[in-house]
Amino acid sequence: MNAIILSAILGVIMMFSGIWVNNKATLRWIALAGLLVLLISNIAEMYGYRIWNVNVHNMLYFDRFGLLFNSVAIGSTFIFVALSGSDINRVGKYAAEYYTLIFFVLTGITIISVYTSLLMLFLGIEIMSIPLYILTGSDKRNLKSNEASLKYFLMGAFSTGLMLMGITLIYGATGSFSIEVLNNPAIAQGVSFLEITGMLFLLVSMAFKVSAAPFHFWTPDVYDGAPGVFTSFMATVVKAAAFIAFVKLFDARMSYSSAVVDWKMLLCILIIATLLIGNITAVFQQSVKRMLAYSSIAQAGFMLFAVFSMNEMAKEGIIFYAVSYSLATIGVFAVLLKMKDFTFEGYNGLAKSQPVLAFANTVFLLSLAGIPLTAGFFAKYFMLASVIQTGHYLWMVIVAVLFAAVSVYYYFRVIQAMYFKTGEGETENIHPGFKTGLIILTVIIILLGVAPNLIINFLYF
Amino acid sequence: MNLIYLVPLFPLLGFLINGLFRKSLSKSLIGIIGSGAILASFIVSIILFNDVRTNGSMIVSYFNLLDIEAFKIPFAFQIDQLSVIFLLIITGIGFLIHVYSTAYMNDETNEHFGRYFSYLNLFVFSMLLLVMGANYVIMFIGWEGVGLCSYLLIGFWFKNNTYNYAAKKAFVMNRIGDLGFLLAVFWILAKLGTVNYGEVFASTVKFSASDITGITLLLFVGACGKSAQIPLYTWLPDAMAGPTPVSALIHAATMVTAGIYMIARSNVLYTMAPFTQTVVAIIGLATALFAATIALKQNDIKKVLAYSTVSQLGYMFLGLGAGAYTGAVFHVMTHAFFKALLFLGAGSVIHAMHHEQDIRNMGGLKKHLPITHISFLLACLAISGVPPFSGFFSKDEILAAAYLKNPIFYYLGAIGALMTAFYMFRLYALTFLGKFRGTEEQHHHLHESPSAMTIPLIVLAILSVVGGFIGIPEIFAPDAHMLEKFLHPIFAQSDSIKELHHLDRSTEWMMMGGVSVLIIVVIIIAWRKYSRTEQFVASHGIARTLENKWYVDELYDNVIVRPVTGLGSVLKNVVEKAGIDGAVNGVGRFVHYSSRQLRLLQSGQVGNYILFMVLSIVVLFLVFWNQPQIAHFLEKIF
Amino acid sequence: MQLLNILLDASATSNASNYFPIGLQLFFAIGFVVTMMFVTHFLGPKRKTADKLENFASGIETHGDARQPMAIKYFLVAILFVLFDVEVIFFYPYAVNFRSLGWEGFGAVLMFVAFFLAGFIYIIKKGALTWED
Repeated sequence: MNAIILSAILGVIMMFSGIWVNNKATLRWIALAGLLVLLISNIAEMYGYRIWNVNVHNMLYFDRFGLLFNSVAIGSTFIFVALSGSDINRVGKYAAEYYTLIFFVLTGITIISVYTSLLMLFLGIEIMSIPLYILTGSDKRNLKSNEASLKYFLMGAFSTGLMLMGITLIYGATGSFSIEVLNNPAIAQGVSFLEITGMLFLLVSMAFKVSAAPFHFWTPDVYDGAPGVFTSFMATVVKAAAFIAFVKLFDARMSYSSAVVDWKMLLCILIIATLLIGNITAVFQQSVKRMLAYSSIAQAGFMLFAVFSMNEMAKEGIIFYAVSYSLATIGVFAVLLKMKDFTFEGYNGLAKSQPVLAFANTVFLLSLAGIPLTAGFFAKYFMLASVIQTGHYLWMVIVAVLFAAVSVYYYFRVIQAMYFKTGEGETENIHPGFKTGLIILTVIIILLGVAPNLIINFLYF
Repeated sequence: MNLIYLVPLFPLLGFLINGLFRKSLSKSLIGIIGSGAILASFIVSIILFNDVRTNGSMIVSYFNLLDIEAFKIPFAFQIDQLSVIFLLIITGIGFLIHVYSTAYMNDETNEHFGRYFSYLNLFVFSMLLLVMGANYVIMFIGWEGVGLCSYLLIGFWFKNNTYNYAAKKAFVMNRIGDLGFLLAVFWILAKLGTVNYGEVFASTVKFSASDITGITLLLFVGACGKSAQIPLYTWLPDAMAGPTPVSALIHAATMVTAGIYMIARSNVLYTMAPFTQTVVAIIGLATALFAATIALKQNDIKKVLAYSTVSQLGYMFLGLGAGAYTGAVFHVMTHAFFKALLFLGAGSVIHAMHHEQDIRNMGGLKKHLPITHISFLLACLAISGVPPFSGFFSKDEILAAAYLKNPIFYYLGAIGALMTAFYMFRLYALTFLGKFRGTEEQHHHLHESPSAMTIPLIVLAILSVVGGFIGIPEIFAPDAHMLEKFLHPIFAQSDSIKELHHLDRSTEWMMMGGVSVLIIVVIIIAWRKYSRTEQFVASHGIARTLENKWYVDELYDNVIVRPVTGLGSVLKNVVEKAGIDGAVNGVGRFVHYSSRQLRLLQSGQVGNYILFMVLSIVVLFLVFWNQPQIAHFLEKIF
Repeated sequence: MQLLNILLDASATSNASNYFPIGLQLFFAIGFVVTMMFVTHFLGPKRKTADKLENFASGIETHGDARQPMAIKYFLVAILFVLFDVEVIFFYPYAVNFRSLGWEGFGAVLMFVAFFLAGFIYIIKKGALTWED
């Protein structure tokens, strides 16, 4: 509860500080301070300290899983603003509004990580999405940005429609918005046709939000068209949050119904299509930014395994995946934003001109590819291990590993360009603080790659 | 005692300091750091030794190397009677050799001097890990570490390609042995779930007979590689390419005895596997004899010593195979004294002769190198087993045990001992007696080595002479075998398993006296024959075969190396290029092609996207509602 | 044919008669629209003149193009009007339940209004409502 209310208030504060503060650097410090307060308040809640005691009528339930993810999301956002804040300020005139919107997105995220009512899911998803439509179009003079924003909005509206349709059908069939369906007599007696159809719609709309194929079409266009900083934010924190909502949905509602209905085949199709489209299409891209858009689809394919196997390990794994994927992607984007040229050629010779950037970028890419000693390795390991724990579907694991091998190709293309090709490797001016930030991020990723329990232990203490 | 970690820590620090700052430190400083680190370890080792003598063994665990649920491999040191003896040998002799090296390597540039000492310190560190580890995994880490250092030091003068080849050969042959070791460790892990010595030896009942035989044989394969036994011995003579102090430390005194340490450490397992023991004894004896025959005809001073080392290691394995673990460890110790001394003496000669190693070009060095000469003579007497020098006691103990195992072992072993005496005095006489056969210039420059080299020689000479007195056999004085008493706790479990035999005293007196007399006779023959030799004729027949080391290298080359390289080139040119490369590149091309096609799905038209999504929803719904049919259909296909 | 089964099943178990009134209403609603459209088309008198093809502008003759650039301010003000107008709708359900929600409800609405007010202050401060530049 702390985080939900505070993030909304902080959003308003940010909004007004845009009126009274003209210096963008100051705005960034305000945003960082706000995020820090948010993070501390959320961690405090994990240890049982609540600032407000609001009667939520069982529509939200603050369990350890959701709160831990909130911490992860807020922490990632903090790192994101710390690293890429100067790039946010470069997008346009309205820096304060951008930070405001980020806070509002966090409000949405903190709702969907703890919802127990479908109503709250819908509300959270909308609170999270609408600011994103604006952020996508924030580069007002850029036609591509405008186009991306409109596309995102149109298709987002479409998926919202599907979600509402699904919620309506479920409500019609059971008379309840709750995902805690244990007490629901309808489940005990069997699941009705309407209810299943409703859940199918929910599944589709969630698949859209996490950009699972074949509902991924918005992703490359939006990620490519949006200003790079906001792509970074959308591809990491927001996507991870959508996954948490997805997992919660399946953990509670769908798992009870799965006695009657088997979701595995649909999820199989989604996962394989996502891995296929994400990985294969990324191979041919010429722009690193667009490649990262497809790679984020591919990573979504891996995260879907958590929904697929739905056991304790999957829940631990999705949190860890969220952390490792978010941090690595934030890092890769932070470096990308400093490049003068977003194509692969732009990275040529970066190791010579900016060795620290090149090294940090290499670690991030290795983590994304899932190479051991980086956090990404354990993230993928948890996902695949959770599938193996189900006892069947070993072939899915093999397919996933094959696609992971494909992913190595396009990630290593960047490393190859940085280290083995000659070129200028031109970048914007690099602040020493930025390098320090990158190094800290690198250390965190390697640390988590050696001791993944550092995060997971927070689920149980 | 919490000093234990200091023992390996000092050499590690020495390695780091010398390795990192080798360009900026002066030679004398590098020498002081390098030698000082080992001296510090030696002092701590002495303290530990006293501690063990009064309080018995101790195990200190620092942290878990691996920690996966119930499966734990601790990073722990075990200091007991066996390891503490090795500690003293390694650090004590190591220190002397470090001091010696400061003078011997003085011609090197600063950087290479620092590199040399950092490698040497790293070696001592690894060797200490090997003997101090409380489980097989730590031992393996040290085992690999010493292999690496051996490789680095053999190829120390890396500008000479044959030296690099020798280094590679040593490394590869050691790796063959290491594989055996590794498999044995896995086997133990699979059966017991632990590799800690104490736990393994306490739960041997869980092993079946074939388990024990398999494990011990695999461990022995590892020992064969590291301790240069047939068939993996050919690397050791080639390893003489390294600087002479390295040969003394690594390839005579310490590293090559790692195999003996390992088997002595695992004595419980070996005692339970009589078949393996017989294999060990036979291989050891065969190596002892085989290497001795080769040593008879070698003309390179270091090669003679190298084959002699192989031969002496063979004796140690004979002792292990015969169940005389104490005897083997005893021989390790005395051998460390006199063989290090021999190598260092040879180094002193080579130093004086300006890197001349062929004994045919030496002779008459007696008056030019008095200290070297005396110490070398004492070492020769010790290795030949002349009473009361140290080699006599240890070799006698092994031979007595061999007799109990099988009298034939004893007779063959005794013949080997006679050959040892012969080739050692051949070497001695050709080097120090007679007339000088080198060039005039060499003669002019002959000089005794500096004191940094002679003092270690003197210390080692004293040890070679008196070192045997810690293991006086029963028949001379009852209860005088101090080493056996000291090591008793280590081998107690083995002793309780095997039945003890004892030679009756008259047989033992006869064996001892007979062999000693024969050895002295052989020495006199060799002395007389080679102190007068002036002309060397090309050898032929069997002698030529011996000179060419029984053509074993050529045999290995033709039987193993050539076919393997041939197969390699076939694999490379045919299978790799056509098959694998084709397949790999084909996959790559296919991915690329699909990528280009899939990319077209992304048309940029929102209408198309939504149409496609709606179609997908319809398909997904159809699939969902017809799952049983689809599953049935899929089952039919696959 | 599980699809069919489930459809039949659904209609059998979740008493289809419940949906009968809704279906009836749908039928009449659509039928009424269609009928009226056809009826007016056929019954109404028709007189075709050229004036009728002109754009309808309350009888005033049109001149020039209707698609003239307009100041963005119109849109801004219009959209802000809609926004605040719609927010007011939330007061209706609150008014109905005013008594039962008690002080807690009052607090919630107060918060809602406060946020609302913050937005209003924000747009004024941003100058969204200043007409003159």
